[in-house]
Amino acid sequence: MIFYLVLPFFALVFLVFQTMILDLFFLGKMSLEISLILVIFAGFYMDAMRGGIMAFVLGFLLDCITGSITGIFAFYYVSVFFVSRIVSNRVYAESVFFIGLFTFFCVLCEGLLVTLIYRFIHGVDISFHLFRVYLPQAIVAGVLSPAFFTFFSRFEVLRDVGES
Amino acid sequence: MFFPKKYHAVTIASILIVLSLVILSFNLKRPDEVGFVRKLVMEVAAPIESLITGTFEGIRGVWKRYIFLVGVEDENRSLKKKVDSLTNEIIRYREAYLESTRLKEHLSLRESQRMPMVSARVVGKENSSIFKTILINKGTADGMKAGLAVISVEGVVGRIVESSWNVSRVLLAIDYNSNIDAMIQGTRSQGILQGGGAMGCNLKYVERSEEVKVGDAVLTSGMGGIFPKGLLIGTVVSVDRKDSGLFQKIEVMPAVYFSRLEEVSVILPEEKPL
Repeated sequence: MIFYLVLPFFALVFLVFQTMILDLFFLGKMSLEISLILVIFAGFYMDAMRGGIMAFVLGFLLDCITGSITGIFAFYYVSVFFVSRIVSNRVYAESVFFIGLFTFFCVLCEGLLVTLIYRFIHGVDISFHLFRVYLPQAIVAGVLSPAFFTFFSRFEVLRDVGES
Repeated sequence: MFFPKKYHAVTIASILIVLSLVILSFNLKRPDEVGFVRKLVMEVAAPIESLITGTFEGIRGVWKRYIFLVGVEDENRSLKKKVDSLTNEIIRYREAYLESTRLKEHLSLRESQRMPMVSARVVGKENSSIFKTILINKGTADGMKAGLAVISVEGVVGRIVESSWNVSRVLLAIDYNSNIDAMIQGTRSQGILQGGGAMGCNLKYVERSEEVKVGDAVLTSGMGGIFPKGLLIGTVVSVDRKDSGLFQKIEVMPAVYFSRLEEVSVILPEEKPL
């Protein structure tokens, strides 16, 4: 129960911190969504209830913080979480190569989703962004994701939650 | 739980996905409405962002003041030269300003300084690759609402897109969703200034026949009803007429340095006499 009570606050602090830190390093030219890597990690190791709700809360708060239409990231994060769960049940998900590749794919899909939303809802074509921003972003996230997985797994609480 | 354990994950997945889709479709139908939870998140996020920003600004300040001192002497020398030339320039501009003030009074035009404004402090920034917004510490309690123009001493900042009770989100002029009616100062040719993310802005729909030069100032045209006429938005940094279209491609560097914004002014709507 404590998990659900503290989740919104810690998720908010995590997302704000993520935004600030990345802005400091990349000056808004690129972003690294550690929250998405966390959702993939949760998909691999956490149970459906807690992981699903965590993905939803993270996505919803990201919607609020970025100022995008509410529901976009909530929907995408929940989808990524359950796809990660399905995939991790069927393949050997501990491999560094697989983690990197899967993260790369998820970031690219997010870029595609954002591009489509801008195209069909706002009427703005940012398709060039897919290659200029999201592709390098996906590569960086893919390369760094195994390190983040190791970092997240240090938090034994998350692991314990997944195993319980 | 109420459902069989076998279908536990599937049920949760279905509930969460349907819930997020319901939220999404609701917000797509009513994009201008800011929900209670979203307002609450903005209220809670603002002080956290302010705290973290303050900490980082402090660290950055220490870095700049005490560590990053390489080449300061050269910079100092070149700055002194710049000060001399700028002083001359200021004198010329002052003359031009006095002349324009006299003309404006003569024509009984409304000056921008007479507009009711509210000052606000920047308490948070969202500067990812796609979304470019800031949070300011004024909300509906201070008369803020979506659509109000936000400016700074340097020029146009953007417009408010959502407000909670004490915090408002400002869509910066460089966000892809931002469209501002603009004009080139010299030629008076009008167009739409669209945000271009980290690359600045693009002035669209300016005909190829118009003589636009690098360095030309880009101002608000006053069309569209959000920004008053004549506010500085930026300067032209590149002009491309090579494309075979009706319009030229103009890149604009905003006058405002968005990552250094600390204080802004929100232009309030003028009260119309009954």
